[in-house]
Amino acid sequence: MSVEQYQQQLQSAYNGSQDPDVQSTAQQANQYTELFKSGQISKDEYLQTMADLQRVAMIQRSIDNMQAMEYLNTAITGLITLAGLV
Amino acid sequence: MKQLLLLSVLLLNGCALYDAYTMTKYDPNEYKLITEIRSDAQQAKTDCNDTDISRVNAVNLASKTHMFTLYSEHVPKNKDVIAASAELDAIAQGLANQYAKTTVSAVFCRIKFGNVETSADYMQKVIGARPR
Repeated sequence: MSVEQYQQQLQSAYNGSQDPDVQSTAQQANQYTELFKSGQISKDEYLQTMADLQRVAMIQRSIDNMQAMEYLNTAITGLITLAGLV
Repeated sequence: MKQLLLLSVLLLNGCALYDAYTMTKYDPNEYKLITEIRSDAQQAKTDCNDTDISRVNAVNLASKTHMFTLYSEHVPKNKDVIAASAELDAIAQGLANQYAKTTVSAVFCRIKFGNVETSADYMQKVIGARPR
């Protein structure tokens, strides 16, 4: 596959997803590829920025887990408080 | 009412219930550190046209993200922050290493500090929202 085909795939991911994280990642990947193609960032820098997209996605996943636990904690604490009042 | 509450609690998965109830509480030191990382990255992004200042900024920020990983590492029931802080540190170390070995473009500098800033912002939100 050529660079252009991969960029097309990124565009499809952007258009086909309702998830803002997927859209933002696809958009950034396309932007970094354009910066590399126009010589504004070096090959080393390009590789690092693309690797960072995966790192940011991992951070996002950990944050989603923590958020879910926080919601659950709020619900449990609330239910316990309510049970004490009944 | 009591039956309804009991049913709600029983419907939740037992392990998740326990983990959520005993989750790590809000830690002001952890919150302060992640706020400093976000603030430093935000400020450093504006200095990217000056290579000498940016090199120092990159090293200082990498030192702070490293301290954050060490701080979080031994806090019990903290696996998500430990995982996220390791990724955040890798992003910051990447920029410091790039400055150590070669010249760095201002565009790359802004992207990297921006990535640290955005990630620290996500993390700050959940660290700040932990139960008191």
